[in-house]
Amino acid sequence: MIDATQTFSIIVILGAALVSGSLLAPYIVRVFNGGPSRFDRILDPIERRLYRLMGAKPEATMGWKEYFLAALLLNVGQMVLAFIILVYQNVLPLNPQGFPGLSLDLAFNTVVSFATNTNLQHYNGEATLSYFSQLGAIQFLQFTSAATGICCMVALVRGFRAGSANLGNFYVDFIRSLTRILLPLCLMAALVFVALGVPQSLGGYVPVKTVEGSTQTILVGPVASLVSIMQLGTNGGGYYGANSAYPFQNPNPATDVLEIYLMLLLPTALVFVFGELLGKKRETRPILIGTYGLFALDLAIAFIPPLPIVGPGLETRFGGFFSTFWTVVTTAVTTGSVNSSLSGIHPLAILSAFMGMLIQATPGGKGVGVMYMVMYIVITVFVVGLMTGRTPEYLGMKITARDVKLVMVAFLIHPLVILVPTVLAYATHAVDAIPGLTSLPTSVGFTQVLYEFTSAAANNGSDFLGASANTPFFNLATAIVILVGRYGPIAVLLALAGSMVGRKRSSEHSLKTDSNTFSLVLIGSILLLVVLTFLPFLILGPVLAYFQGMVNFFG
Amino acid sequence: MAAQKEQKQGYRPVVVLSLLSLLICGFLFPFVVTGISQVALPSQANGSLAQLAGRNVGSYYIDNGFTLPVFFHARNESNPLVASASGVDPDITLQDALSQVIGIHNATGIPTSDLIVMVKSHQQETLWVLGDPYVNVLVLNLALINSYPSVYSSYR
Repeated sequence: MIDATQTFSIIVILGAALVSGSLLAPYIVRVFNGGPSRFDRILDPIERRLYRLMGAKPEATMGWKEYFLAALLLNVGQMVLAFIILVYQNVLPLNPQGFPGLSLDLAFNTVVSFATNTNLQHYNGEATLSYFSQLGAIQFLQFTSAATGICCMVALVRGFRAGSANLGNFYVDFIRSLTRILLPLCLMAALVFVALGVPQSLGGYVPVKTVEGSTQTILVGPVASLVSIMQLGTNGGGYYGANSAYPFQNPNPATDVLEIYLMLLLPTALVFVFGELLGKKRETRPILIGTYGLFALDLAIAFIPPLPIVGPGLETRFGGFFSTFWTVVTTAVTTGSVNSSLSGIHPLAILSAFMGMLIQATPGGKGVGVMYMVMYIVITVFVVGLMTGRTPEYLGMKITARDVKLVMVAFLIHPLVILVPTVLAYATHAVDAIPGLTSLPTSVGFTQVLYEFTSAAANNGSDFLGASANTPFFNLATAIVILVGRYGPIAVLLALAGSMVGRKRSSEHSLKTDSNTFSLVLIGSILLLVVLTFLPFLILGPVLAYFQGMVNFFG
Repeated sequence: MAAQKEQKQGYRPVVVLSLLSLLICGFLFPFVVTGISQVALPSQANGSLAQLAGRNVGSYYIDNGFTLPVFFHARNESNPLVASASGVDPDITLQDALSQVIGIHNATGIPTSDLIVMVKSHQQETLWVLGDPYVNVLVLNLALINSYPSVYSSYR
């Protein structure tokens, strides 16, 4: 349970995200509509030079296949560059600690994880990666994956927009989302982080003699620039293995609140972007009520039990409340950063974290969260159509059998890539290779393995296992899950958007999707779908742990 | 021949944009942030190092590893069952700090009332009004050393 001041602080943080998100939305819409902006004088010539270097025509337009393929191929190209950097970091510059190159399977897992906005980490950054790798592999992919997510959502909305003839130009969207949204926001955030105590240096770790005279190494690096994009881009992968529990990544309560706010900012802004870009602002309503309604439910579940006291797995400066609140937010927006050890969190809060990652739209990762919400809306429209005996319609367009098949495929990918690998990990005894896992109580071990694949599939990246999952099975299995979980639904939903282009619209709407009633039905159908699909596995994991009377997952 | 040419054009934007995005996002951006920070905020940018008698003894944000009975101790050395998530948590709760006062009094002879005042004057709140107050162990111990130079003469 939480008290009045804690409730107040939740309201202030969420309120700040909602207000600034709604204020940022018109600017984001102008960026993608190519509208004029005061930055044009500086950025237009730069962007034109980039297009010329690429040999791309910015005025060319793309259908869904071209758009998706451009995004996929660019991501693959970026993965290849980052892979080379990770494997050969030992011969590349900026490696003052002299770290060796990464193993092939760990490097593969890492680039797949970061290029897809997942940021599952099977390594401890401070003891594994050179400065060059932290910059040229990790921060690099954190920017590009965030930009890719935003682009795909924008393309989806263009497909649903009345009178649109195409999904836009991926290269233009990608470059503009970097130059006009992510880079400027991150520059401001990074400098604030440095001012608040997050290091930003390339000078190498600092050896000191402590007050008592023993030796200690201060692990400084280019941390602030990484933290800015990891939170703003809902990436979540930290500079350090302990992520934002490590003091240099999150030195005090002020940085903690700022990081929570930054995680929420873009996913919330994009909810408003949806209606505005669509040209029907009222259609933001079901998405806003749906995402934030489910988020409120996540929070309610997590705060049922008493807050954990400062003890195992928690940092003193955050305490039980901010650790639990962070855990709910980071899974609700599928960021995956942590400011505590998940093992120190109550089973019901972990259940809430699962809900965030299973629904993926509360409000979900930036861009893809809205895409999943559109998927749920189409499913709900179809179900409501069946119940009332009318032809299902969304935005005046008839929803066909093919549309319903597409959204069902998009939905079913998620359980497929979570449940099957979890079972395989046990059936093949791959779990035995994880140090200490089999000695834990069954419900705890099962929760940790299920969480690993859920986090991978949802492109979240938070985990219990961390570097202990650096085994060939878990590196390859989670990489495959991540790839299918990311590009599968995006491809299918862009195909859906592509088929909406130019579709006949009636001005009479038989179903008002911008109403409060529809929003509530939407929440209900999302809960039904997700709970029915995953309930048995959740019961064997966190629910069982709860009924066994556990207060955390230390076994 | 024609098909080959078309394909060549098709891959050029991908290859060039991969490299350009690496240069801009992976290097240009963090180098700009590093440059500004090193000039404008050098202390924070280099790890908020703590000094004692003119030499660096650690960072205010990283547990300094105190083990001697004359100092306050962080949580990380004592017992894995109370260990923090980072393993280098530099802070302890106010309650924890106060419970260590008697031990430090026994080891140093500093009056407990003075120690309690010392602890309370260094307490920080989790976000102004929220949460339980806590104390930074390194800040507290450095204050002890500076306030009681004769007791801690060997550390100066």
